[in-house]
Amino acid sequence: MLMFKALRNSRLPRSVLLLRFASSATTTSNCKYDYDLVVLGGGSGGLACAKEAVEYGAHVLCFDFVKPTPAGTKWGVGGTCVNVGCIPKKLMHQASLLGEAVHEAVAYGWNVNDQNIKPDWKKLVKSVQDHIKSVNWVTRVDLRDKKVEYVNSIGRFVDPHTIEYIQKQGERKQLTAKYVVVAVGGRPRYPSIPGATEFGITSDDIFSYEKEPGRTLVVGAGYVGLECACFLKGLGYDPTVMVRSIVLRGFDRQMSEFLAAMMLERGIRFLNTTIPLAVERRADGKLLVKYQNTTTKTDGSDVFDTVLWAIGRKGLTEDLNLGAAGVQTYNDKIIVDHTEATNVPHIFAVGDIIYGRPELTPVAILSGRLLARRLFAGSTQLMDYTDVATTVFTPLEYSCVGMSEEMAIEKMGAENIEVFHAYYKPTEFFIPQKSVRHCYLKAVAEVSGDQKILGLHYIGPVAGEVIQGFAAALKSGLTVKTLLNTVGIHPTTAEEFTRLSITKRSGRDPTPASCCS
Amino acid sequence: MQRQIVNVLGNVTRQVRSNQRAFSVTPKKREIFKVQSSEDFDKKVKNSQEPVIVDFFATWCNPCKLLTPRIETIVGEQAGSIKLAKVDIDEHSELALDYDVGAVPVLMVMQNGKEVQRMVGLQDEDKIRAWVATAVKNAKQ
Repeated sequence: MLMFKALRNSRLPRSVLLLRFASSATTTSNCKYDYDLVVLGGGSGGLACAKEAVEYGAHVLCFDFVKPTPAGTKWGVGGTCVNVGCIPKKLMHQASLLGEAVHEAVAYGWNVNDQNIKPDWKKLVKSVQDHIKSVNWVTRVDLRDKKVEYVNSIGRFVDPHTIEYIQKQGERKQLTAKYVVVAVGGRPRYPSIPGATEFGITSDDIFSYEKEPGRTLVVGAGYVGLECACFLKGLGYDPTVMVRSIVLRGFDRQMSEFLAAMMLERGIRFLNTTIPLAVERRADGKLLVKYQNTTTKTDGSDVFDTVLWAIGRKGLTEDLNLGAAGVQTYNDKIIVDHTEATNVPHIFAVGDIIYGRPELTPVAILSGRLLARRLFAGSTQLMDYTDVATTVFTPLEYSCVGMSEEMAIEKMGAENIEVFHAYYKPTEFFIPQKSVRHCYLKAVAEVSGDQKILGLHYIGPVAGEVIQGFAAALKSGLTVKTLLNTVGIHPTTAEEFTRLSITKRSGRDPTPASCCS
Repeated sequence: MQRQIVNVLGNVTRQVRSNQRAFSVTPKKREIFKVQSSEDFDKKVKNSQEPVIVDFFATWCNPCKLLTPRIETIVGEQAGSIKLAKVDIDEHSELALDYDVGAVPVLMVMQNGKEVQRMVGLQDEDKIRAWVATAVKNAKQ
């Protein structure tokens, strides 16, 4: 009452009085913010969250900015997947598979000259980049059509509800948001050894690399390193993979070793238990890499045209000034709970920036969408991060969903697990005599009852296509009983899951004798 | 007077072409140009006396690469009655989005600062020629 009288006597114009009266009479949570939602990061997670939020009437702004790599590479809106991840990777994987297909075609009777076929690296890069740029454009049009404001700058916290950014012309601007979603993702790490940033490149650079890669050293044996080494091999270049300890950390051990063996069979060199020490450029322009084998403690060196670091990725928390918002981080990642909320109630995070979740585009997209629905559409559905299927796109691909064998044994005990496994021979491989040595799959299941399936693993052609449907089946509670009563589609490789009969426990030979019976 | 000079230039370049000289000449410099900025667009397109065809293209778009030489030739045939402004949508994204450019290529006719015709996608020469003729005819009225 007193406040009202004071306002009235202040001789302010009526409109201002009304506004001040209204805002003073309500709680701070109803204060007017510039935006309902500000998303930091225009990648898979950020865009999905932003575009979903506008569907429910939210006023949304999205920041996206790409800091150039040490080699100077940069790219447009869309994030890692579109520009320097899944999309160009799959296209180059396809390019390398097509090179193999030319040779197979000869066996099938095609009159092609498959001797000394070479890829035109520049043409491949241009085609890949043209496609990426078209996706960048479609993304911008989509943002515009859906009325998501887009700012090509880094957004930094000034306080928990205020973001500051610098415009292209250099002017500093600020805006306020009711909710903030941090979806800034990550970038490849560089090792702290001499010459790493000056002479080495990463996956950020390889897909637009102006030179032919030539003889390449890939340092790192996660899926990024293995996939890059494999498509480079398929394109006719000469890759070597330097492995610090094991390949594909976090994946099923047996399947990972099979994949490495498959790559060895294809002529990819491995430097096992080896770490790089330094990179120098020689007078002839080639790169001399010094390294040490940590098992034998011997030093070595070799000369390469290109050195590609694939030793892991770091989250991009450093530019956000998270301290001003009070957001807790763990190393370079943001800690969130099961609702993707940080320790600050109105600040959330999705995608590769969050700690301890699978770093995959479809995970970021779904969690971003569900978050938007919880914030603006009254939904209560949480993101389920379990049983996420994934694929490693090596020339024989590896795809899996659910638990690895060792994870199942650890959780349930070896005596409560049954593993069905089989080698198989894809029909199309016979004529060109392609190696089937590593065509293998297994189902990890409970030992009792209908035998609930805990994990499925497959190495072979089009592994992602094979496993996708099974991921839905697993989520629905697939059992061995149902699986073996499912009639297979013939002739496919996926049907081998319905033909599983030999268990590891039995000790019998899982190699198939014949095809159709 | 301007038109006469332009026609003379046109004759000169036709001769150049028929002698099979190994350089390319932009025949009508004032009539076909690449937009440099939004101010440039305002000055030369929105405030143009003659109608202007705006060619929204992208360097990564193959149909655009086929369309641009076709529209350049056809505009050249109009002897100055209509101009051609080329807009790279990556260089001038806001401008392209303001004019609702989604898929490219897009040809848009601007007259007295307003859009009067639009064609989306690559077309064959006859269709483009007829479309341009319509624009020129409507402008004369």
